[in-house]
Amino acid sequence: MSQIQARFFTEDKRYVVDDVPFSIPAASEVQDLSNVINKLLEAKNASHSKVDFDFLVRGQFLRTSLSTHMATEGISTEEVVEIEYVERITAPEPEECMMHDDWISSVDADAEWILTGSYDKTARIWSTEGKPAMTVAGHTDVVKDVAWVKREGLTSLLLTASLDQTVLLWEWNSERNKVKARHCCRGHAGSVDTISVDPTGTKVRLERARQKLKRQQRVLRLMTLDVCGKHFQFCSGSWDKMLKIWSAVPTDEQDEIEEPADRPRKKQKTQQLGLTRTPLMTLSGHSEAVSSVLWCDSEEVCSASWDHTIRIWDVDTGGMKTTLTGSKVFNCISYSPLCRRLASGSTDRHIRLWDPRTKDGSLVLLSLTSHTGWVTAVKWAPSHAHQLVSGSLDNLVKLWDTRSCKAPLYDLAAHEDKVFCVDWTESGLMLSGGADNKLYTYRYSAQQAEA
Amino acid sequence: MPARQDRCFTKTKKLCPSCTLNTALFNSSDISNILSQSDADKLFPAFIISRLDYCNSLLSGCPKSSVKSLQSFQNATVRKLTGTKKREYISPILDIRNTVGNIPMEWYKDFPHIGYNLDGKKIYKPIRNKDELDDFLDKMENPEYWRTVHDKQTGSDVVLSDDQVELVNRLQRGQFGDVNFNECEPMVEFFSSDVMIHPVTNRPADKRSFIPSLTEKEKVSKLVHAIKMGWIKPRRVEDDGRGRYYNLWASEDSSILARHKMHLPAPKIPLPGHHESYNPPPEYLFTDEERALWEQQDPADRKLPFVPRKYSSLRQVPAFSQFIHERFERCLDLYLCPRQRKMRVNVNPEDLIPQLPKPKDLQPFPTTRSLVYRGHSGLVRSISVSPSGQWLASGSDDGSVRFWEVCSSRCMKTVQVGGAVKSVAWNPNPSVCLLAVVILSSERLLSAQQEGEEPAEGNGSVVWSEAEGEELNQGLRLKIQHPKAVHQVVWHAKGDYLASVMPDNTSHLQVYIHQLSRRRSQNPFSRNKGLVQCISFHPIRPYFFVATQRSIRIYNLVKQEMTKKLQTNSKWISSMAVHPGGDHVICGSYDCKLSWFDLDLSTKPYKMLRHHKKAVRGVAYHRLYPLFASASDDGSVIVCHGTVYNDLLQNPLIVPVKVLRGHVMTHDLGVLDVTFHPTQPWVFSSGADATICLFT
Repeated sequence: MSQIQARFFTEDKRYVVDDVPFSIPAASEVQDLSNVINKLLEAKNASHSKVDFDFLVRGQFLRTSLSTHMATEGISTEEVVEIEYVERITAPEPEECMMHDDWISSVDADAEWILTGSYDKTARIWSTEGKPAMTVAGHTDVVKDVAWVKREGLTSLLLTASLDQTVLLWEWNSERNKVKARHCCRGHAGSVDTISVDPTGTKVRLERARQKLKRQQRVLRLMTLDVCGKHFQFCSGSWDKMLKIWSAVPTDEQDEIEEPADRPRKKQKTQQLGLTRTPLMTLSGHSEAVSSVLWCDSEEVCSASWDHTIRIWDVDTGGMKTTLTGSKVFNCISYSPLCRRLASGSTDRHIRLWDPRTKDGSLVLLSLTSHTGWVTAVKWAPSHAHQLVSGSLDNLVKLWDTRSCKAPLYDLAAHEDKVFCVDWTESGLMLSGGADNKLYTYRYSAQQAEA
Repeated sequence: MPARQDRCFTKTKKLCPSCTLNTALFNSSDISNILSQSDADKLFPAFIISRLDYCNSLLSGCPKSSVKSLQSFQNATVRKLTGTKKREYISPILDIRNTVGNIPMEWYKDFPHIGYNLDGKKIYKPIRNKDELDDFLDKMENPEYWRTVHDKQTGSDVVLSDDQVELVNRLQRGQFGDVNFNECEPMVEFFSSDVMIHPVTNRPADKRSFIPSLTEKEKVSKLVHAIKMGWIKPRRVEDDGRGRYYNLWASEDSSILARHKMHLPAPKIPLPGHHESYNPPPEYLFTDEERALWEQQDPADRKLPFVPRKYSSLRQVPAFSQFIHERFERCLDLYLCPRQRKMRVNVNPEDLIPQLPKPKDLQPFPTTRSLVYRGHSGLVRSISVSPSGQWLASGSDDGSVRFWEVCSSRCMKTVQVGGAVKSVAWNPNPSVCLLAVVILSSERLLSAQQEGEEPAEGNGSVVWSEAEGEELNQGLRLKIQHPKAVHQVVWHAKGDYLASVMPDNTSHLQVYIHQLSRRRSQNPFSRNKGLVQCISFHPIRPYFFVATQRSIRIYNLVKQEMTKKLQTNSKWISSMAVHPGGDHVICGSYDCKLSWFDLDLSTKPYKMLRHHKKAVRGVAYHRLYPLFASASDDGSVIVCHGTVYNDLLQNPLIVPVKVLRGHVMTHDLGVLDVTFHPTQPWVFSSGADATICLFT
């Protein structure tokens, strides 16, 4: 039995061992190595209790025996191998199951409340414990996407996008449990499939806005807004191939829409909820429907489309910055500011990781393949640079670590039908919803995510 | 005998190693030991005289002093030759009377003298007065004549003595000159085959025989060095291309074969087995039943032509009674057997397959079933995708039309129309949202179902009526009532016209073209050309395709005439699709065939694809990608790659790329309709199992 010289190190202060090379059998697997570390820790600290570890060799998780792994990765067995170990990520534990009346199209969660959009034309607010708090009804068609805008105290702002070509901005008072439609965002000529809120809450750039907006009234309104402080924007993507940028601040003003008088909109207008709002900016360039938008940072909006491209737009100028071209329809994208990667799910079985900054060379950094159906949702972990979760039409939700690209860390097989949306919160909650009308939440150990 | 002589010479040579004279003289002196002295005395002059004479002739012109020294050398030579002592007088032997040398004596024929003696005086010819007659008389009478020799040098006649005659005779016979020499002396065997028990010499072996020789090593190293430096070329290996050894009959054989191209080897006689043995193992011997069976059988049916027998020894085996018969049979075999050469065409089956690109290189095309749209309860006859690609409409025998969201397989709306839906078609104009639905009900009505904004139209025999009340709320906008059952409806590419088919073999009222904006209908054909199966508009030009049972007619709607008639070679056309470029048509038929027509090429099919096992129900072209698909009753959809080129010289490239399966066979029906997504390389298929599949 051949031996390999290995040196163990970790960044977790609790589990540091001496920095000396050990000679370990080449055939040892993860469990053997874990036992070795536990023995070492026990020798150092008698009160140590057994912990399962995972091991990284040159940034890749060890999944087979050490010798096999090194042979496949082409690592020389002559030298001392540096092996990093981290505490093993335990399986996410299912917590709650929230029953809806119809398919769940989207979910957005923060630390306290969960917002879901459903095919029964409503959005629902749930507490993280699974208690229904509110049903937001008002759309005339399926709600395709939902998003929290901001939550200050008891008053929250939320957005719902629908197949009826509008986005509604609601104000919700959690104490009185009253919801009120503040604005109806009109302008799209197709179903609004996706919305994304500016995460940084930047100020509206007044000068720019002033140049663009002709009417005195609107300028005045914006000035008042600026005085108020933070100003939110959001972006929406629609089946009409357009991206539109809107203000997300509730006001008492109503934008005017120039409409042909002869169009028989009378009926719809009477039913309309809230004040009409028009887009600040329209970004056009996609040749097919926009399936997913993402507000990456203060000035960048990223959009994925059925025309097989991901485009990155500059919100300041309204111009397109980068185009990433794939070979399949994109269903969803997600961006992680921690590792600065884009993850995309498309109508094949692969999750692809992109570096949005590279201008040339291989755009696809990595393909994660384990799903057997379309990948309909991906989401990066909010506090972990390597983890992401994906949902697919094959009824599975998978938890991935990019350092272990061959196989997912865990398969979550709770759903009985297609999965349409996944999300997770910084408080350690993973959520997934789909065509079986159920929203599942999973708890995973958050402290590991910080490691 | 010559070998023996050689041995003698070798021996004498060894015994006189000090001899330094040239080989001829040396050999002569050797012989002198064999010859008797007297014989030698006479023989030597005969051997050497001419040579010495030549020397003499050279000496003749020299000054006396040099002649003297040369003469003394000559004498010494002769002394050595003859073995005489230095003191003895040599002159009798060297009695050379004539000094002219070895020249033809005819030169002196006309002179009185015959040469010159040593003193330079003329030697006169003896007076010869003998003529031919005297010579003859002399020959007849003189008993010494036969031993008389004419000496040309002196011109005198010499009579040989008896000894001399004997010597000449012996030499002529190849014998030794000396009578006393015994040429058959017993040989002394110096090296015999007998191994002596005692060594000849007991000297121990040299040390040098055990150690490598330095000199040899030096020689070898010199040679090696020379070879390395290229001074010595290693012996060239003879090119044995033709070969010293070759098949002598090789060429001959091929020529024989060439002459006998039709040669067939005779059938071989089977090798004898254990049955034929005189003493076979007992299992080969017949049992009683076997023998009885053998005797009952017809001789032609017998497995063995004889009965195996056992004999204790070979000499008891009797003569083979069937010998003549067997030979005769063999001869019959040889000359009656059919000697016919079967000429086989040796074609590699691989070569017959046309060179087609690999399907891998022709991506994208649909490969896997991604979504299944469930909800219908009857077989789904027809499907259609909205121009934007967001919605899918399907009509089923359960009397409902369903609208599906393509990307999620969600049924967004179900409309009960009160009759089996035969065909649905989405208006290709993206600015209006209209769906035409063919409903087969008791009233036989065709309705244009609209979902969304613009009102649509209806027409009956043709009655048009606006939808009202409940129907309007359901989304119905227009009804066009036909006199007979409608089977298919198609839209023109602009979206203002639609055409409907009422198959009826007896009437000319089979096709109607309706104009939506003016709410008008017309029948373009005044004559019945056969049962119309399906129709289609040309995507660009004002052409109209009408498929009857066996052929497709193309009409120019502007000129109102038939421009082309395509012969499909199939028995019953089921479906037809026109390429978005407008120059190609595919047509599926109930006899499992799919025909591709190149309208610029011919009215015959450019290609017939027979991939389906059962009737082809639907065919479709993709609007953007070079793909077409066919759906069949065998439950499969076959997707083919079909590139068409702008170059008229290049034929379309058709490669079948994928067989898609996903539908369950229900009532012997498989896939009923197939259509492509307008922008993605996806294909939808609707089946008799009440589902719709999306393949991506």
